[in-house]
Amino acid sequence: MQVVSLRSDAHAESDPLSGRKPASAMIEIEHVSQRFQTSGKQSHLALSDINLTIEDGAFVSILGPSGCGKSTLLYIVGGFVQPTDGVAKVKGKAITGPGPDRGPVFQEFALFPWKNVLGNVMYGLRQQGVKKAEAEARGRKLLEMVGLKGYENFYPKELSGGMKQRVAIARTLAYDPAVLLMDEPFGALDAHTRTRLQNDLLDIWDRQRKTVLFVTHSVEEAVYLSDKVIVMSRSPGSIKEIVDIDLPRPRKRADLLLDARFQKYIVDIEKMIDDGGKDDL
Amino acid sequence: MTARGVLKTLSPLFACIGLLCVWQVASLRLDTESFPTALEAIKAIPSILGDKGSLLNILDSIRRMAIGLVLAVMFSIPLGLLMGRIKAVASFFNPLMMIIYPVPKAALMPIIMLWMGVGDVSKILVIFLGVSLPIIYHAFQGSKAVEEKMLWSGAAMGMSAPMRMLRIVLPAALPEILTGCRTGLVLALITMITSEMIARQSGAGNILFNSLDMAQYDTVFAMILIIGAMGIVFDAAFEKLRLSLVRWSQPRDDMPLSFT
Repeated sequence: MQVVSLRSDAHAESDPLSGRKPASAMIEIEHVSQRFQTSGKQSHLALSDINLTIEDGAFVSILGPSGCGKSTLLYIVGGFVQPTDGVAKVKGKAITGPGPDRGPVFQEFALFPWKNVLGNVMYGLRQQGVKKAEAEARGRKLLEMVGLKGYENFYPKELSGGMKQRVAIARTLAYDPAVLLMDEPFGALDAHTRTRLQNDLLDIWDRQRKTVLFVTHSVEEAVYLSDKVIVMSRSPGSIKEIVDIDLPRPRKRADLLLDARFQKYIVDIEKMIDDGGKDDL
Repeated sequence: MTARGVLKTLSPLFACIGLLCVWQVASLRLDTESFPTALEAIKAIPSILGDKGSLLNILDSIRRMAIGLVLAVMFSIPLGLLMGRIKAVASFFNPLMMIIYPVPKAALMPIIMLWMGVGDVSKILVIFLGVSLPIIYHAFQGSKAVEEKMLWSGAAMGMSAPMRMLRIVLPAALPEILTGCRTGLVLALITMITSEMIARQSGAGNILFNSLDMAQYDTVFAMILIIGAMGIVFDAAFEKLRLSLVRWSQPRDDMPLSFT
């Protein structure tokens, strides 16, 4: 079992010297376990006693080998999957199902193919009863923000993978969730598109400072984007280590690639994941 | 339009003329009373459509077909969608469907007539039964194939389960549903004619068989042409509607399968 606080100033109730408010917990995961029924009477422990606190406004990545339960953990926070044991909370309230305070972005985009780009982005707002004109204005603004001005009337099938994911991000940002849940969002994109979307995501995050929970396979991506990287191991899925990424922001990819600290984080984390691999042999 | 484009648009017409020519030649060659030429059959069409009684009969057929079809659509789409999303509903209805599907619905006509008479109710019921199954099946498949993550995205927007059904599952499954409806439309025409051949009281099928009894072969073939034309027109109209509803899902260069 591992209890981890992601507060950098965990000792201080408040910090009168800096005048900063202590960051409050956005997501708390307490003793969460997830068991999946496999064929017959067999069952598989996907997550074992996970404890984690994620502060408001933090960008946190979850890294780990396939099958370590990192996506499952994200789905539990999203309320899409109910944990077998334990409780996950958002803003102190137990999560019982999906809600507009937590917006998912999936690797598969999951756009509504019968709606055009603008229709997709407006969808959440319209469902929540926002007036059409207002939703449209908001949608156009968001599309401009994700670099898709001029594509309002395109249908998803007419877009490239990178553009689809931009639409998906705008669609989720539209209803202004406090938490972004990103499930390997750039996993299906080519390297060049991936880099551009990472940079744009960082820009958006710098402006909005939403709490982000970001699942990825890529160590480099995790280090580049995050304040904290949670390294998981599998069988059963558990938290192996939490690494604070102490790199200044705003981050520039070109600078970081030459930065020894950035490189060291990557090497260290890759080693942690490798050690996990040896356990399986 | 290029010459090639013109050719492509007119190709169904050429197919039609070709078939009529083959018919004409075959009929002249065989030269039997029960096989009139294509021209004779076409000449008999105006007298059928000009006759008020015949016309009312045909309109009656169309009315029954439309009622049966609309009832089947209203019943089958919700059932199919529910089957695709709720396991219990699927496990209950799927075995039933597997048994009912291969049974020719027209074979039930005698029993239905026995219980409900030879009037509209029996015929509409048979059309309803004939049309329902393919639509249920396609709605079921379409609903089952809806991406889970799409529904999760909707749930995160605060949509309730019934809302997700109506606003996500239904539109996402619409291309598949409409494929089922197209099959259903043609089946409606088939069961309509069949029901009128069994319960001979009124309708297009009745005219066809009455003229057969009276050895008016040109009328028989003219009726076949009329019924065939009805099928083609209904199908083309439906395709037009279908394409306008699901253009978003269509691959670009598709071979046309109907007269649109």
